[in-house]
Amino acid sequence: MLHHQLAWFVAGPVMGLCVVACRALFNGRLGVTGGFSELVSKLSRGSFSFDWRGWFAIGLFASGTVFLVLWGGPDFHGYGWMTRTFHGSAQIWIPVLLLASGGLIGFGAKLAGGCTSGNGLSGTAALSPASLAATATFFATAIVVSFLIKAVI
Amino acid sequence: MRVRIAAAAIGLVFGITLCWSGMSSPDVIRGALLFEQSYLFLFFASAVGTAALGLALLRRRDRRALLIDTPLVWTRDSPARRHIIGSLLFGIGWGVAEACPGPIATQIGQGIGWAVFTLVGTVAGVYLFLRRSLPETEPALDVEPSANPAMSPAVG
Repeated sequence: MLHHQLAWFVAGPVMGLCVVACRALFNGRLGVTGGFSELVSKLSRGSFSFDWRGWFAIGLFASGTVFLVLWGGPDFHGYGWMTRTFHGSAQIWIPVLLLASGGLIGFGAKLAGGCTSGNGLSGTAALSPASLAATATFFATAIVVSFLIKAVI
Repeated sequence: MRVRIAAAAIGLVFGITLCWSGMSSPDVIRGALLFEQSYLFLFFASAVGTAALGLALLRRRDRRALLIDTPLVWTRDSPARRHIIGSLLFGIGWGVAEACPGPIATQIGQGIGWAVFTLVGTVAGVYLFLRRSLPETEPALDVEPSANPAMSPAVG
Protein backbone atom coordinates (compact mmCIF):
# COMPACT_ATOMS: atom_id res chain seq x y z
CA MET A 1 0.00 0.00 0.00
CA LEU A 2 2.80 2.43 0.87
CA HIS A 3 5.65 2.26 -1.60
CA HIS A 4 7.78 5.35 -1.60
CA GLN A 5 9.42 7.51 1.01
CA LEU A 6 6.86 10.13 1.99
CA ALA A 7 7.76 13.63 0.72
CA TRP A 8 9.54 15.65 3.41
CA PHE A 9 7.10 18.53 3.07
CA VAL A 10 4.30 16.17 4.06
CA ALA A 11 6.14 14.10 6.68
CA GLY A 12 7.68 17.09 8.50
CA PRO A 13 4.44 19.03 9.02
CA VAL A 14 2.64 15.85 10.19
CA MET A 15 5.33 15.39 12.87
CA GLY A 16 4.98 19.06 13.79
CA LEU A 17 1.22 18.71 14.11
CA CYS A 18 1.74 15.80 16.54
CA VAL A 19 3.66 18.21 18.79
CA VAL A 20 0.86 20.78 18.52
CA ALA A 21 -1.79 18.10 19.20
CA CYS A 22 -0.09 17.00 22.45
CA ARG A 23 0.00 20.60 23.60
CA ALA A 24 -3.52 21.54 22.51
CA LEU A 25 -5.23 18.37 23.76
CA PHE A 26 -3.59 17.81 27.16
CA ASN A 27 -0.80 20.40 27.54
CA GLY A 28 1.91 17.79 27.02
CA ARG A 29 5.39 18.08 25.59
CA LEU A 30 5.78 15.32 23.02
CA GLY A 31 8.92 13.28 23.68
CA VAL A 32 9.80 9.65 23.08
CA THR A 33 12.33 9.44 25.93
CA GLY A 34 9.64 10.63 28.32
CA GLY A 35 7.50 7.73 27.11
CA PHE A 36 10.30 5.20 27.57
CA SER A 37 11.00 6.64 31.00
CA GLU A 38 7.36 6.32 32.03
CA LEU A 39 7.21 2.68 30.87
CA VAL A 40 10.50 1.79 32.59
CA SER A 41 9.57 3.57 35.80
CA LYS A 42 6.09 2.02 36.10
CA LEU A 43 6.99 -1.47 34.87
CA SER A 44 9.96 -1.69 37.27
CA ARG A 45 7.44 -1.18 40.07
CA GLY A 46 5.04 -3.73 38.58
CA SER A 47 2.51 -1.09 37.61
CA PHE A 48 0.63 -0.83 34.33
CA SER A 49 -1.13 2.47 34.98
CA PHE A 50 0.87 4.56 32.54
CA ASP A 51 0.33 8.28 32.07
CA TRP A 52 -0.07 9.75 28.56
CA ARG A 53 3.66 9.50 27.87
CA GLY A 54 3.56 5.73 28.32
CA TRP A 55 0.58 5.42 25.99
CA PHE A 56 2.30 7.61 23.41
CA ALA A 57 5.25 5.18 23.48
CA ILE A 58 2.94 2.17 23.18
CA GLY A 59 1.36 3.77 20.10
CA LEU A 60 4.86 4.29 18.72
CA PHE A 61 5.86 0.63 19.16
CA ALA A 62 2.56 -0.43 17.56
CA SER A 63 3.11 1.95 14.63
CA GLY A 64 6.13 -0.07 13.49
CA THR A 65 3.96 -3.16 13.22
CA VAL A 66 1.17 -1.28 11.42
CA PHE A 67 3.77 0.03 8.97
CA LEU A 68 5.19 -3.48 8.52
CA VAL A 69 1.76 -4.69 7.37
CA LEU A 70 1.05 -1.67 5.12
CA TRP A 71 4.55 -1.69 3.56
CA GLY A 72 4.61 -5.48 3.22
CA GLY A 73 7.85 -5.97 5.17
CA PRO A 74 10.45 -3.94 7.03
CA ASP A 75 11.73 -0.98 5.01
CA PHE A 76 15.37 -2.03 5.34
CA HIS A 77 17.47 -5.15 5.83
CA GLY A 78 20.64 -5.79 7.77
CA TYR A 79 21.70 -2.98 10.08
CA GLY A 80 23.42 -0.16 8.21
CA TRP A 81 27.19 0.17 8.38
CA MET A 82 27.43 -2.47 11.10
CA THR A 83 26.26 -5.48 9.10
CA ARG A 84 28.32 -4.26 6.11
CA THR A 85 31.47 -3.98 8.22
CA PHE A 86 31.29 -6.95 10.57
CA HIS A 87 31.03 -10.46 9.12
CA GLY A 88 31.22 -13.94 10.61
CA SER A 89 32.43 -14.08 14.19
CA ALA A 90 33.21 -10.33 14.10
CA GLN A 91 29.43 -9.80 14.19
CA ILE A 92 29.72 -10.10 17.96
CA TRP A 93 30.68 -6.41 17.83
CA ILE A 94 27.21 -5.44 16.64
CA PRO A 95 25.34 -6.30 19.88
CA VAL A 96 28.21 -4.84 21.90
CA LEU A 97 28.06 -1.53 20.00
CA LEU A 98 24.26 -1.41 20.00
CA LEU A 99 24.00 -2.12 23.73
CA ALA A 100 26.62 0.54 24.53
CA SER A 101 24.98 3.06 22.17
CA GLY A 102 21.59 2.35 23.70
CA GLY A 103 22.99 3.00 27.17
CA LEU A 104 24.37 6.36 26.06
CA ILE A 105 21.12 7.21 24.27
CA GLY A 106 18.94 6.39 27.29
CA PHE A 107 21.09 7.95 29.99
CA GLY A 108 22.13 10.93 27.85
CA ALA A 109 18.60 11.77 26.78
CA LYS A 110 17.35 11.60 30.37
CA LEU A 111 20.17 13.84 31.56
CA ALA A 112 19.57 16.33 28.75
CA GLY A 113 15.81 16.33 29.35
CA GLY A 114 14.94 14.99 25.93
CA CYS A 115 16.03 13.29 22.74
CA THR A 116 15.55 14.17 19.08
CA SER A 117 11.83 14.55 19.66
CA GLY A 118 11.60 16.10 23.15
CA ASN A 119 14.42 18.60 22.75
CA GLY A 120 14.98 18.58 18.99
CA LEU A 121 11.38 18.90 17.91
CA SER A 122 9.13 19.98 20.79
CA GLY A 123 11.74 22.02 22.67
CA THR A 124 13.14 23.94 19.73
CA ALA A 125 9.61 24.61 18.44
CA ALA A 126 8.80 26.12 21.85
CA LEU A 127 11.99 28.24 21.46
CA SER A 128 13.48 26.83 24.67
CA PRO A 129 17.15 27.90 24.92
CA ALA A 130 18.02 24.66 26.74
CA SER A 131 16.52 22.59 23.92
CA LEU A 132 18.26 24.67 21.25
CA ALA A 133 21.61 24.09 23.00
CA ALA A 134 20.87 20.37 23.42
CA THR A 135 19.82 19.99 19.77
CA ALA A 136 22.90 21.78 18.44
CA THR A 137 25.07 19.59 20.68
CA PHE A 138 23.62 16.22 19.73
CA PHE A 139 23.42 16.99 16.02
CA ALA A 140 27.04 18.19 15.98
CA THR A 141 28.19 15.18 18.02
CA ALA A 142 26.36 12.65 15.87
CA ILE A 143 27.75 14.25 12.69
CA VAL A 144 31.32 14.11 14.05
CA VAL A 145 30.84 10.50 15.17
CA SER A 146 29.48 9.50 11.75
CA PHE A 147 32.47 11.02 9.98
CA LEU A 148 34.84 9.33 12.46
CA ILE A 149 33.22 5.96 11.78
CA LYS A 150 33.46 6.59 8.04
CA ALA A 151 37.16 7.40 8.42
CA VAL A 152 37.87 4.25 10.45
CA ILE A 153 35.93 1.58 8.52
CA MET B 1 -8.88 7.82 29.62
CA ARG B 2 -9.51 10.13 26.67
CA VAL B 3 -6.02 11.57 27.16
CA ARG B 4 -4.46 8.10 27.00
CA ILE B 5 -6.35 7.14 23.85
CA ALA B 6 -5.37 10.45 22.24
CA ALA B 7 -1.73 9.97 23.23
CA ALA B 8 -1.65 6.44 21.80
CA ALA B 9 -3.25 7.71 18.57
CA ILE B 10 -0.67 10.51 18.30
CA GLY B 11 2.08 7.92 18.90
CA LEU B 12 0.65 5.82 16.08
CA VAL B 13 0.56 8.74 13.61
CA PHE B 14 4.00 9.96 14.72
CA GLY B 15 5.50 6.48 14.33
CA ILE B 16 3.95 5.65 10.96
CA THR B 17 5.22 8.99 9.63
CA LEU B 18 8.64 8.22 11.08
CA CYS B 19 8.69 4.85 9.29
CA TRP B 20 7.23 6.21 6.05
CA SER B 21 9.89 8.92 5.92
CA GLY B 22 12.55 6.20 6.21
CA MET B 23 13.82 7.28 9.64
CA SER B 24 13.80 3.71 10.99
CA SER B 25 16.58 2.86 8.57
CA PRO B 26 20.13 3.34 9.93
CA ASP B 27 21.38 4.09 6.40
CA VAL B 28 18.92 6.98 5.98
CA ILE B 29 20.16 8.52 9.24
CA ARG B 30 23.78 7.87 8.26
CA GLY B 31 23.28 9.43 4.82
CA ALA B 32 21.96 12.58 6.48
CA LEU B 33 24.66 12.81 9.16
CA LEU B 34 27.35 12.43 6.47
CA PHE B 35 25.62 15.24 4.49
CA GLU B 36 24.98 12.87 1.59
CA GLN B 37 21.20 13.37 1.70
CA SER B 38 19.25 16.51 2.54
CA TYR B 39 15.93 14.77 3.27
CA LEU B 40 16.33 14.53 7.08
CA PHE B 41 17.24 18.18 7.46
CA LEU B 42 14.34 19.39 5.29
CA PHE B 43 12.00 17.00 7.10
CA PHE B 44 13.25 18.10 10.52
CA ALA B 45 13.16 21.81 9.71
CA SER B 46 9.62 21.60 8.34
CA ALA B 47 8.53 19.66 11.43
CA VAL B 48 10.03 22.26 13.78
CA GLY B 49 8.61 25.11 11.68
CA THR B 50 5.10 23.64 11.72
CA ALA B 51 5.27 22.93 15.45
CA ALA B 52 6.65 26.40 16.21
CA LEU B 53 3.86 28.03 14.23
CA GLY B 54 1.23 25.89 15.93
CA LEU B 55 2.60 26.53 19.42
CA ALA B 56 2.83 30.27 18.73
CA LEU B 57 -0.85 30.27 17.72
CA LEU B 58 -1.78 28.32 20.86
CA ARG B 59 0.10 30.82 22.96
CA ARG B 60 -1.51 33.90 21.50
CA ARG B 61 -4.49 33.81 23.81
CA ASP B 62 -5.15 32.28 27.19
CA ARG B 63 -6.23 28.94 25.89
CA ARG B 64 -7.05 25.79 27.84
CA ALA B 65 -6.34 22.17 26.89
CA LEU B 66 -9.18 20.51 25.01
CA LEU B 67 -9.25 17.18 26.89
CA ILE B 68 -8.37 18.23 30.42
CA ASP B 69 -9.10 21.40 32.33
CA THR B 70 -5.70 23.05 32.41
CA PRO B 71 -4.23 26.19 30.89
CA LEU B 72 -1.79 25.80 28.02
CA VAL B 73 1.43 26.96 29.64
CA TRP B 74 5.03 25.91 29.27
CA THR B 75 8.41 27.21 30.32
CA ARG B 76 11.57 27.88 28.37
CA ASP B 77 14.53 26.50 30.33
CA SER B 78 17.97 28.07 30.30
CA PRO B 79 20.80 25.83 29.10
CA ALA B 80 22.65 24.06 31.89
CA ARG B 81 25.60 21.66 31.99
CA ARG B 82 23.33 18.63 31.96
CA HIS B 83 21.78 19.63 28.63
CA ILE B 84 25.20 19.74 27.00
CA ILE B 85 26.73 16.67 28.67
CA GLY B 86 23.56 14.62 28.22
CA SER B 87 23.35 15.59 24.56
CA LEU B 88 27.02 14.75 24.01
CA LEU B 89 26.42 11.22 25.36
CA PHE B 90 23.18 10.97 23.40
CA GLY B 91 24.87 12.21 20.20
CA ILE B 92 27.60 9.55 20.46
CA GLY B 93 25.00 6.82 20.85
CA TRP B 94 22.89 8.22 18.03
CA GLY B 95 25.89 8.48 15.69
CA VAL B 96 27.01 4.90 16.33
CA ALA B 97 23.63 3.15 16.37
CA GLU B 98 22.11 5.48 13.72
CA ALA B 99 18.85 5.41 15.66
CA CYS B 100 17.32 7.58 18.35
CA PRO B 101 14.49 6.53 20.69
CA GLY B 102 11.62 6.99 18.18
CA PRO B 103 13.22 4.85 15.48
CA ILE B 104 14.35 2.29 18.09
CA ALA B 105 10.66 1.81 18.97
CA THR B 106 9.55 1.61 15.32
CA GLN B 107 12.37 -0.81 14.48
CA ILE B 108 11.14 -3.07 17.27
CA GLY B 109 7.60 -2.77 15.92
CA GLN B 110 8.91 -3.71 12.47
CA GLY B 111 10.52 -6.83 13.93
CA ILE B 112 14.13 -5.76 13.34
CA GLY B 113 16.07 -8.20 15.55
CA TRP B 114 19.21 -6.07 15.98
CA ALA B 115 17.12 -3.30 17.52
CA VAL B 116 16.49 -5.47 20.60
CA PHE B 117 20.07 -4.73 21.69
CA THR B 118 19.65 -0.98 21.23
CA LEU B 119 16.36 -1.08 23.14
CA VAL B 120 17.84 -3.10 26.01
CA GLY B 121 20.72 -0.60 26.23
CA THR B 122 18.35 2.36 26.17
CA VAL B 123 16.09 0.86 28.85
CA ALA B 124 19.18 0.17 30.98
CA GLY B 125 20.38 3.76 30.53
CA VAL B 126 16.99 5.18 31.50
CA TYR B 127 16.72 2.76 34.44
CA LEU B 128 20.19 3.69 35.66
CA PHE B 129 19.23 7.36 35.53
CA LEU B 130 15.99 6.75 37.41
CA ARG B 131 17.76 4.54 39.98
CA ARG B 132 20.21 7.29 40.76
CA SER B 133 17.04 9.25 41.53
CA LEU B 134 18.33 12.25 39.68
CA PRO B 135 15.72 14.94 39.24
CA GLU B 136 13.06 14.25 36.64
CA THR B 137 14.09 15.97 33.43
CA GLU B 138 11.40 14.95 30.99
CA PRO B 139 8.46 17.18 31.74
CA ALA B 140 5.29 15.16 31.60
CA LEU B 141 3.41 18.28 32.52
CA ASP B 142 0.13 18.53 34.19
CA VAL B 143 -1.58 15.25 33.54
CA GLU B 144 -1.96 13.46 36.85
CA PRO B 145 0.80 15.35 38.66
CA SER B 146 -0.06 13.45 41.83
CA ALA B 147 0.72 10.11 40.18
CA ASN B 148 4.44 10.79 40.40
CA PRO B 149 5.64 13.02 43.22
CA ALA B 150 9.06 13.35 41.58
CA MET B 151 7.35 14.96 38.60
CA SER B 152 6.73 18.38 39.97
CA PRO B 153 4.43 20.58 37.92
CA ALA B 154 7.10 23.26 38.14
CA VAL B 155 7.99 22.50 34.57
CA GLY B 156 5.15 23.81 32.47
